[in-house]
Amino acid sequence: MIRLDRVSYSYPRATSPALNDLSVDIPAGQFCAVIGANGAGKSTLCSALAGFVPHFYRGRLTGTVEVAGIDIAASSLAELAGTVGLVFSNPFNQITGARFSVRDEVAFGLENMGVPRAEMETRIDYILQFAGLAGLAERPPFALSGGQQQRLAIASVLVMRPRVLVLDEPTSQLDPVGSREVFTVLRDLAATDEATVVLAEQKLEWVAAFADRVLVLHEGRLVADGLPGDILASPDLQRYGLEPTRYTRAARAAQAAGLRPEGDTLPVTLEQAAEFFA
Amino acid sequence: MSGTYGLYVVRQTGIHRLHPLTKLVYVLVCLLIGWLIPGVWSPYIVLLIGVVPVALIARVLPEVIKNTIKTAIPFAISLIIVQGLFWTGGTIVRQLGPFSLKAEGLLFAIRGTGRIILAVSGFLLLNYTTRSDELMLALSQKGLPNSISYVVLSTLQVIPRFQRKANTILDAQRSRGLETEGSYLIRMRALMPLVVPLLLGSIVDIEERAIALEVRAFSREGAKTSLLVLHDTRFQRAIRWLLMLGAMAVIGWRFYLWLAPRLA
Amino acid sequence: MERLKRDFSTISLAMIPIAIAINIAVGQIVKALRLPLYLDSIGTVFVGAVAGPWVGALTGLLSNIIWAIIFGDVTNTVPYAPVAAAIGFLAGVFSKYGWFKVWWKAVLGGAITGVVASLLSAPITFYLFGGVVGTGMDIITAAFRSQGMSMLAANFLQGLATDPLDKAISFLIVYLILRALPDRYIDRFSRAEDVR
Repeated sequence: MIRLDRVSYSYPRATSPALNDLSVDIPAGQFCAVIGANGAGKSTLCSALAGFVPHFYRGRLTGTVEVAGIDIAASSLAELAGTVGLVFSNPFNQITGARFSVRDEVAFGLENMGVPRAEMETRIDYILQFAGLAGLAERPPFALSGGQQQRLAIASVLVMRPRVLVLDEPTSQLDPVGSREVFTVLRDLAATDEATVVLAEQKLEWVAAFADRVLVLHEGRLVADGLPGDILASPDLQRYGLEPTRYTRAARAAQAAGLRPEGDTLPVTLEQAAEFFA
Repeated sequence: MSGTYGLYVVRQTGIHRLHPLTKLVYVLVCLLIGWLIPGVWSPYIVLLIGVVPVALIARVLPEVIKNTIKTAIPFAISLIIVQGLFWTGGTIVRQLGPFSLKAEGLLFAIRGTGRIILAVSGFLLLNYTTRSDELMLALSQKGLPNSISYVVLSTLQVIPRFQRKANTILDAQRSRGLETEGSYLIRMRALMPLVVPLLLGSIVDIEERAIALEVRAFSREGAKTSLLVLHDTRFQRAIRWLLMLGAMAVIGWRFYLWLAPRLA
Repeated sequence: MERLKRDFSTISLAMIPIAIAINIAVGQIVKALRLPLYLDSIGTVFVGAVAGPWVGALTGLLSNIIWAIIFGDVTNTVPYAPVAAAIGFLAGVFSKYGWFKVWWKAVLGGAITGVVASLLSAPITFYLFGGVVGTGMDIITAAFRSQGMSMLAANFLQGLATDPLDKAISFLIVYLILRALPDRYIDRFSRAEDVR
């Protein structure tokens, strides 16, 4: 579904590349998390998948980015809308403001795509239910809480039925309650096994809970690629400026203190931790 | 401002349910007639016949009166002073110290005030009874670019947030010791620390909002659809045409009045 | 035509609501400081400078219409929309000739824009509102009038008493903002090369 072949990219005026010789294949239906320290290239990768690199930011892109069979560099943003959905951190800026209710805001993208009204109704009803916004359908979008607004942003993109959904740190500007709301929606999305999702995220505990695969970026390069259990428990994590989950840290401390045998697989989720300490 | 729809006042009346263009055309025609028909009292007559009854049916008359007065009073005072007292020549009605109140100036002020009252109340009537998203949709269907509709509606909702932002910056800078009271120079100096953060902080918003729009197929060309549905009737369409014909007749007549003495 | 299409890009359209909100928010700050200025077209001037005369003109035009809807006052807003459009347009023209690259040229451009604004406002005030604007500024008009001056001329001079200074300061603030902004943000706008 997503194919990156030797992709390098530099922003205009930048002295060092933001993405450096990146190659990766993501099959359809996979929920793939991208982790890495600030400035590792997560956002740039998200922008490249949605076409904003290079079509919006300009700059120099080499290699091939292919999403759902479309060569991003040869396409346009107007063409890509509806094929790749992008959600980013700031909820306020993702709400167009041009529609006066949550329901109408969700409709905005469908209206632009010329979707017939009857079909819009069905799709919107379904997606509002999915995002837990059905009860807020008639509320003004800017009257919602941060978490609700972010779920609205996700719903507004999902309703367009993109082949790929890209989320760039969707909870970094939310409080814990809002983050939990958003991750609940993402977990449901991961459970469907139909959506192809790329999630750039710093909160590793959530990544561990539902990602099928984890990519680690460091200074624009892909430095690790594997299952969440392997990657997140790896001692290399700190080298890339990432903090292991509290479960991994606790398990390591237990091993160091001799409470648990060395060599056991370290836990990265609550369930695994319960097993580890059992 | 009251809520999401700009000035819209939620009421279940037949006027609220009318097609937005019917109300827009009606108000514009009222304005045109009141302004163009000669005579000091013509704006007031149009106001009483055209605006007040409709506002009454729409149950927004108290709001219309209150806010019209708020805007019109300063104008009335200014007009009476500037035109009534400083009318060159004219018949003196009353001597007020060094100034003299002139009849011609006074009549001019009355007519001017009437025009302003008519314009303000007509505009308020339209806005109190019409949701701006419905009005913009109606205009889009008549050929106004979708991008204009986006800009207007988005601005209406973004503004309250910016007003809050401005107040936050004002409070923050004051608590950091910025003097916002005192001499003209002190207040002038306070301007930059208040305005610059607001502007710089907004530029990032622009970029992200553009990206969000692209994601939602904003720049896609081709036919667009709408979730919102406007109800129009053949009767309303006929009324709109009649109103526009009437307006053209008034314009023609007024033009004739202006032209005739020049040709004679 | 190509140029115009690039000017009216998505980023320009996304900028207009923010610019109008800035007009209103800064106007509010100036009011709180009780300064004898308006500074209610800084957003418009900014748009003109970075996206060209036509987008600037559209911003000014819509700004006045939206101001009317927000505050429910149609008098000092909608009729002067052409003046606001002219301010945005002129900012775009001055920007095209690089006047936002030098501080004193920005100030001069603003002052000239202010004179043009007074010239355009006077007939609107005169023909639509009988020569008054319904604020304390009418005292200036009355003073000129009492000197035997014609109403139209008095309206023009009333405008001259504030507009050139007001617009000169607005242009200067936009100049300063353009200096303070990192290049990577300015790059996005269609007329970026005119202001750097």
